[in-house]
Amino acid sequence: MTETARDIQPVELLINGIPVRAEPQMTIVEAAWAGGVPRVTGVGCLEGVCGSCRILVRRGKEVNVALGCETFVEPGMEALFLPAPGTDRHQYQLTDLSDGWDIQARFHEIFPEASRCRHCHGCVKSCPKDISVEEGVALAAAGHYREAGEAFLECVMCELCDSACPENIAPAHVGLFSRRITAFFHLRPPNLIHKLEEIRKEQADKKEQP
Amino acid sequence: MKRGLSLQAALAAYRPDAELAPVPELDDPDTLLNSYHPDHLRGSMTKLTIGPNAGADCQRELADLLQAEAFIDEADLAGAQVTDTDVLVVGGGGAGCAAALAAAERGARVLLVTKLRLGDSNTVMAEGGIQAAIEPGDTAQQHMQDTLRAGHHAGDPALVAAMVGDGPEVIRWLIHQGMQFDQTASGDLHTRRAGGMTAPRIVHCRDYTGLEMMRVLREAVKQHRGIEVWDQSPVVELLSNERGQKCVGAVLGSLTDGSMRIVRTRSVILATGGLGRLHLNGFPTSNHIGATGDGLVLAYRMGARLCELDSFQYHPTGLVHPPHLYGKLVTEGVRAAGALLLNAHGQRFVDELQPRDIVSAAIIRECREGRGIHTDTGGVGVWLDTPRLERSQPGMLQQQFPKLLARTHHVGIDPRLEPILVHPTLHYQNGGVVIDVNGATSVPGLYAAGEVAGGIHGRNRIMGNALLDIIGFGRRAGIAAAAAEHDRGPKKITLEHVNRARRDLTLAGLPLTQRAPRILPAYTAAGKDIWKP
Repeated sequence: MTETARDIQPVELLINGIPVRAEPQMTIVEAAWAGGVPRVTGVGCLEGVCGSCRILVRRGKEVNVALGCETFVEPGMEALFLPAPGTDRHQYQLTDLSDGWDIQARFHEIFPEASRCRHCHGCVKSCPKDISVEEGVALAAAGHYREAGEAFLECVMCELCDSACPENIAPAHVGLFSRRITAFFHLRPPNLIHKLEEIRKEQADKKEQP
Repeated sequence: MKRGLSLQAALAAYRPDAELAPVPELDDPDTLLNSYHPDHLRGSMTKLTIGPNAGADCQRELADLLQAEAFIDEADLAGAQVTDTDVLVVGGGGAGCAAALAAAERGARVLLVTKLRLGDSNTVMAEGGIQAAIEPGDTAQQHMQDTLRAGHHAGDPALVAAMVGDGPEVIRWLIHQGMQFDQTASGDLHTRRAGGMTAPRIVHCRDYTGLEMMRVLREAVKQHRGIEVWDQSPVVELLSNERGQKCVGAVLGSLTDGSMRIVRTRSVILATGGLGRLHLNGFPTSNHIGATGDGLVLAYRMGARLCELDSFQYHPTGLVHPPHLYGKLVTEGVRAAGALLLNAHGQRFVDELQPRDIVSAAIIRECREGRGIHTDTGGVGVWLDTPRLERSQPGMLQQQFPKLLARTHHVGIDPRLEPILVHPTLHYQNGGVVIDVNGATSVPGLYAAGEVAGGIHGRNRIMGNALLDIIGFGRRAGIAAAAAEHDRGPKKITLEHVNRARRDLTLAGLPLTQRAPRILPAYTAAGKDIWKP
């Protein structure tokens, strides 16, 4: 470590209500550990893809949500680790959705709130991955599942958008539903199917000549 | 270690268009590995003195945990709430989810318990892809040969044959769960060829393959009526029958309130993943925070045989800078796409597509001999030359590696403009619990799947085989565990195996002071005195 780096003042902040002195380059997760904040176990990958370390952040009067492994400490900041989201109310089994012609009707049965978006931008503001959540939901509500799913490519399922939505749309689950049915109904790759057919024939031949 | 250049000086000297001399010949790979690979560091290995692998070589820090005392004894079981289930799956990553779904599809009642949250795992971070021999001209036999050769022929051919044979069906099953893969213009699955492969065989979803797989499997598990999930519930100890010879359940500790719960079952599937967070030999790791080798400790105390405990994969390209991502991975796909490795003087020093163990040893040699680049925070590494790759194929980094750009975007680092500082990082446990093709261990009632299991990748794993392993063997273990017969004998649950291990420790003169499993690293604050609130 160089001399200049040593001279830097520690950053003082509150994490889960506990005063913590952290080094300036630390993330909220690192600062919580270094500061001995107990029971910080809502942590997973530490690189922003698992969506576990959901935090509420207050800077002065401004309040927002973020991921603790990607948010750096700032003087006077208050951070609060949020509990893991509960089970989503929108239940479905892909295997129950056997008819592709039926899919828009079924989508609105499963996600009745998706067409009630108020365009409040809460989901967009809360997304740590800068996903155009509102547009994605609108695409899904209009039946454009492939495009909707593509909008959610980088979604880490932190479900912060779900907690921001006043209509309880559960946008992250709308995005994942869109991605899943696109694969389930439309991903039929010729090279894979050809290989599976080859294997099936081989095994059938083996059975005939024991 | 000789001191190389500072990050600032090396960055100032770096030119993406500099002329490069050809790579020097690799004189002798074995000498390189013996001199520089971390598995060969002096003092890194020891021999186990108790248990089924007594006398075998084992990494020293792991040996300390395998030969440690349990957290609990019989007194802790009194009054604990008891739950019965058909199949208990321990671990909420890809292997655990695949096992739970396979068992539930066959009608078993499944309880999946996980230390952190469902999906917090190494699976979610996997970038490059999953191997399956699906291209015309490629065969399962070729896939098998590549896997065995890269593993220095230490893998079990029966396990490798099972895994590669499952490949195409695993991809079909994942699509059926709703997982997307990248396609070519004609709709075929897009394939890539990486280090050690004789044919293009990696299928992928951009560089988010693991994220796509994990969010789909997590949703499938959560929505399945036959599967119950308990988060924040690490296994503290397994339970055995009164002779200590069959696994009949587990004791779970709660990370939220410290209470203990007992689960009785006919089969336990360990899908606990690897051990990067033990930071073997002081290395950083690409692994998630829960990768503390718990499954190895639990299985060994129960009497299960392990293998290749002296062989670990140090992935060549772990990030050194920025510091909060220290040890996190840059996918091998970037080298497969043509990115070069350069030392502090801007020279190439190894063929970038050699197997991972060779490339890692070569990077460590450069750093130790004063041709490394040093950061203010004590890190050292070499360049992964992404700007040169971007110059040769403008736009390709954004198109094919969006995660690589997104991850450092918020700290103002753009790999298209400046090279990435990398150093080998502890990535994968090559060995693990010995299993058969059904995921059964040498202990009745105990199964293992995924990184915790061993015998597939030999002494070095190639890219894309980890994701295939977890789904293929996860499903096999789930199917076998669901089919296991109810034990008609007495239903006693005991800690007899713990008593046996304690006797062995005492007889061997080993201390009873260290306790394991580790559950969480000590530096997480929660990992200190975890059961003493």
